[in-house]
Amino acid sequence: MTVRSTTDSTPAAGIDSASSSTSPMTTPSPFVTLISSDGFEFHVRRSAACVSGTIRRMLNTRSNFSESVTGVCHLENLNAMVLEKVVEYLYYNEKHKESRDVPDMEIPSELCLELLMAAEYLDT
Amino acid sequence: MYVGWAARRAATNAIRGPQSALTDFLASHNISAHQIHQEHQRRLREAQQQAAQETGEADENKENESDPGDEAVEERKKRKRKEEKAIMKIKQSKEFKRRKFEEKIKKRQKGSGDDDDSDYDDDSIARNMLYKKAQPMPGQFENCEICEKRFTVTAYSKTGPEGGLLCTKCSKELGKEEKKKQQPKKRGPLKGKRRQTESDRMMGDVKPGAKSLVEICVRKVVANIVDIEEFGDLPQTLLDRLSQVLSQKRALDPRTLEFFLQADSSRIAIYDAAKLETDDFEKIFSFMPELEDVNLRNAGQMKDEVLLYMLDHNPKIKHLQLGAANLITNHGWLQLFQKQGPKLESFKTCDLDAALDDSAIEALVQHCPNLQRLKLKKCWQTTERSIQCLTSLPSLHHLSLSICPDTSAETLSTLITTIGTPLETLSLESFHNADDTTLTAIHRTCTELSKLRFTNNAICTDAGFASLFSNWPNPPLPTIDLSDNRDIDNQNPDGPAERPIGLASMGFQALMTHSGSRLEKLNVKACRHISHEALLRVFDHEKHTYPMLRDMDLSFVAPVDEVVTTAIFRCCPKLEKLAIFGCNQVRGREVRIPAGVAVIGMMDAQESVVVEGGWERGDV
Repeated sequence: MTVRSTTDSTPAAGIDSASSSTSPMTTPSPFVTLISSDGFEFHVRRSAACVSGTIRRMLNTRSNFSESVTGVCHLENLNAMVLEKVVEYLYYNEKHKESRDVPDMEIPSELCLELLMAAEYLDT
Repeated sequence: MYVGWAARRAATNAIRGPQSALTDFLASHNISAHQIHQEHQRRLREAQQQAAQETGEADENKENESDPGDEAVEERKKRKRKEEKAIMKIKQSKEFKRRKFEEKIKKRQKGSGDDDDSDYDDDSIARNMLYKKAQPMPGQFENCEICEKRFTVTAYSKTGPEGGLLCTKCSKELGKEEKKKQQPKKRGPLKGKRRQTESDRMMGDVKPGAKSLVEICVRKVVANIVDIEEFGDLPQTLLDRLSQVLSQKRALDPRTLEFFLQADSSRIAIYDAAKLETDDFEKIFSFMPELEDVNLRNAGQMKDEVLLYMLDHNPKIKHLQLGAANLITNHGWLQLFQKQGPKLESFKTCDLDAALDDSAIEALVQHCPNLQRLKLKKCWQTTERSIQCLTSLPSLHHLSLSICPDTSAETLSTLITTIGTPLETLSLESFHNADDTTLTAIHRTCTELSKLRFTNNAICTDAGFASLFSNWPNPPLPTIDLSDNRDIDNQNPDGPAERPIGLASMGFQALMTHSGSRLEKLNVKACRHISHEALLRVFDHEKHTYPMLRDMDLSFVAPVDEVVTTAIFRCCPKLEKLAIFGCNQVRGREVRIPAGVAVIGMMDAQESVVVEGGWERGDV
């Protein structure tokens, strides 16, 4: 688990990876970085990150967004607690893509409103 | 409480004869007459035994009182013999056998399972019975086992866990506990889950995978609505969704209403305002001066004063939709149209039986020249006159009428011919006197329609519908609803064979030929004269595909069977929802449903429905 943070508190979530900087010539790396408003970085598999429509459009290689080149998305309106839960959902969604009757993921009640706004923003 | 496992089992297996009313009454209160009887008998027996033993021992003691000295050893011996005699006697009694059985059950539950010390246990049981004070007879006093209160023993006194008797209070509580223990068994876990999956399927939610995070969060928020103090700055789409779910859960009350009152918002939608009082409606209008779009359904408590307040404080309102606002009087409606009329661009209302009569509609027509959308549904005070005066509305683009079922066909034709040209939406529901002339009027006048609804009629003929859709300059329509167009004749359920009534084979084929390329939502519920051949001809995947059709309702179209449904899946690649209520020829077991399609209303719709995962609809 690697999470680099500028502040010194929990949560620790990030998924382990070796994030390499991408040059425009090589194929894009399988991992991307999502950074919360308070500086926590989450290394996430690209396929999972693209469950979110907003992130998918940001990372679209055909667009001219800087995110698609660097593979790094700054999500300024999400704090680390919310972003951690979002990342958990992205993996949950990807894992259960083909199953039926998937139970709802657990969400702590304190987070639900902020998470709702985040989900709406991220189109997920 | 123990009657005795064996006794209870015997009672349930036994054949039941006729029972008295009293027994039935007691049974309905969970009191078993049999149980009480047994308890009573048992206590009588024990009391008798005890009495017999005491007298026996007293006699023996009298005999032995004369020698004190070396009595010590002898006495002990004698006592032992007496004890053993008494124990032997007890072991023969029924009560002993019952208690032994209970002990066995207890042991089995605890899991010890050794039979070695069974003799020892027998003795200890018997000894307990010998030395324990026998339960007193009814009429005598006894201390309650649990609460130590003194009470009178009756035939109804329950036995406590240790064998003693309980007072009335404690026995009631014991009864309640028993009830609680038994009740959770009723609902199996599968029952609730199946209902939820059917409900989700009706909402079209059959796509594999997890729900969207937005949906999960909305449900979580609504589940915890009691703890939430405010919503914060949510976008309007989310507020709308929350309003929908809260209304569905009947959690929209004066407290939760506050969450939706955002001062700078231009839109409010409350889908179930049943719990709101008149003051709450005023609050909405006073908190939100920038309102342009108002949608209040089930607004039962909204009164004239609220309307008048709104007219003073909310000048920007352009779109107004009110459902069931039955406390508003005709005077109130008049005020609304006179003051706000020029600004109104859409007006929708339904379920009004106390007011909004012809004069109000005339005022509407007179004062609302900019009205583009009008929806009047189930406004029972209106008559044909209202429909006639609607011809004066100059700029309507969307018209929905479901009023005055007895309107003549002529009035309808006139209306359509006069204002039909710019219409994009035309919805005429339950006009029982409409006939082929109405359809001809639509055919001749309307060329801009994208949504057509014409339902619940038993006069228009199949030929009329076929003419409507044949050579019609109107481009293909995305939304068509022609449900309930069929013959109603109890003597002849199949309708006249020669000239079919309602939407039947010819009409259906003409419809699909005309609009099939753009059709997204189709409703032909209860058009039961459509033939099997027509269905197969329309859904022949070698000749036709319907690339945009996603929602179809074929309920109560009797000829629909598995052949038809399979054909439908083949030529409708984007189909998401298919309703087939009342299609008795479709058996759940044989239908193969592609992934992502919600088929609702099927008979035997249980786990036996085979949902194919990898089956692509293009496959033969």
